[in-house]
Amino acid sequence: MILDYIRAVTLLAALPSPGDLVELPFMRTALIELTLLGVVGGLLGAWIVLRRLAFFAHAVGTATFPGLVVADATGFSATLAGLAVALGYAGGVERAGRATPADGGGDHGDVATALALVVALALGVVLASDVFESGAAVDRLLFGTALGLGGADLLVASGAAALALVATLLLGRAWTAVAFDGRGAGALGLPLRVADLLLLGLIAVAAVAALPAVGALLVASLFVVPAATARLLSRSVVGLLTISVGVAIAQGAVGLYVSLWLDVPPGPAVAVVGSSLYALVTLTRAALGGMTAPLPIAEAS
Amino acid sequence: METATAAAPALAVADLALSYDGSSPVLEGVSFSLPAGSSLCVLGPNGGGKTTLFRALTGELTPLRGRVDIDGRPAYLAQTERTRLDFPVSALDVALMGSLANGRWWLPARRSDRAAARGALARVGLEDRAEVRFGELSGGQRQRVLLARALVQDARVLLLDEPLAGIDPASRERIEALFRELRDEGRTLLVSTHDVDSARGFDRVVCLNQRQVAFGEPATALSRDALEQTYGDEIVVLDDEADGTFRAVTVQHHHH
Repeated sequence: MILDYIRAVTLLAALPSPGDLVELPFMRTALIELTLLGVVGGLLGAWIVLRRLAFFAHAVGTATFPGLVVADATGFSATLAGLAVALGYAGGVERAGRATPADGGGDHGDVATALALVVALALGVVLASDVFESGAAVDRLLFGTALGLGGADLLVASGAAALALVATLLLGRAWTAVAFDGRGAGALGLPLRVADLLLLGLIAVAAVAALPAVGALLVASLFVVPAATARLLSRSVVGLLTISVGVAIAQGAVGLYVSLWLDVPPGPAVAVVGSSLYALVTLTRAALGGMTAPLPIAEAS
Repeated sequence: METATAAAPALAVADLALSYDGSSPVLEGVSFSLPAGSSLCVLGPNGGGKTTLFRALTGELTPLRGRVDIDGRPAYLAQTERTRLDFPVSALDVALMGSLANGRWWLPARRSDRAAARGALARVGLEDRAEVRFGELSGGQRQRVLLARALVQDARVLLLDEPLAGIDPASRERIEALFRELRDEGRTLLVSTHDVDSARGFDRVVCLNQRQVAFGEPATALSRDALEQTYGDEIVVLDDEADGTFRAVTVQHHHH
């Protein structure tokens, strides 16, 4: 009883002040980084969810892992190595997806994606443990870091945020039409291949921008989870984009705080916060189900 | 020269062969032409080549042989169960997608585009449903929203994939009345179905079963022989009358 009390007090005493997030310089950098990535992940996540590319988004991050291990061991730029692997991977998936009909869904090579995922993780682990003996670096590469972020990372994240914003403004209408009804959109004269290629390429670039903060394994925590939560709450594409960005930024800040408190890398902390929010929204919706479910209009006219 | 233009077919297909792998055709020997303002029923069993033909007409599939001449860019209306019913778009959003066909898809929708989309929804009788989510509309209403999208696109040729499947009789009458209006405006309609009875109401019928079995007016194209070649053992002929008329129903065999 007394021991429990002491344990609780100790844990609470270790609770950092939320002000630390802006006052500690390295935390401030991490907060800005995660906010920028929230914009990227929130916007692109909405398109990922609508186009059913969640698995691809997860895989493209993981696929960079062996590249990052090599870059880390040889001193080569991790961003360039990640970018080369991610773009190559996106190009391969686009080629595989083209063989399937434009039914609006298209599986974008799910089997190939799963295979690439396994190979990338296995290759990365073998390279890290037997070839380069990377040791502690593996944790950072897989789960990200709040400590080592610098100006270059912020610059890359800003670039990715700007790209995501411009692409959403210019391509949003086309992406919506293609995701809604692929063949109908093709008949409207929309360049389906270009639209797909740009989306896959942009996801690859954005995933690489997110690597330093959340790591190769948890890219989906930024690019899928917030949009999936927003999808449950939105009735329009604009609403989806707005809520998705809001959720992504909020889970980034809360996740960073949790990571500071429990001394874990930001990747898992953000992932846990984001997934908990998704679960909470799903459960709340299920509990209110009878009241909030849209009533189908079944009249004959 | 005016008369020559007026007489030009809205759609002409000559000796068309289509393939997915670039070598073995899944549909061949398709030749027909349609005047503007006419309707064609594309009849055939599942897997007979109806959707494959539509994919060639939209340009999604490049012909293995033969050619397609078509007036403008055709609109494609999918079966609405195949369009995403959980998608966060309103009826107005879907109608507005038609304005993407103007070629400036990277620009936001203009006020005139919105007015056109609302006008098209009014034409299909859904102006009071503009803000309702597409997936919450009834099947017949969804089909009419896709028709509104085709109107905004101002397509001269419309390709409709089983538009009346699973739609209640009242909605069906409403949609068939719209089809007549569209034809009166000089638009050409191609409607795919596997329902033999509904084929009789069209100007022309083309029967497909991996090849073109018959083409012409329903009275001649829907011969007993042609139907048996189109459907094989999936057809049952009823009421074989002495004057040569008959009714036929198809039996769907499901291979699982």
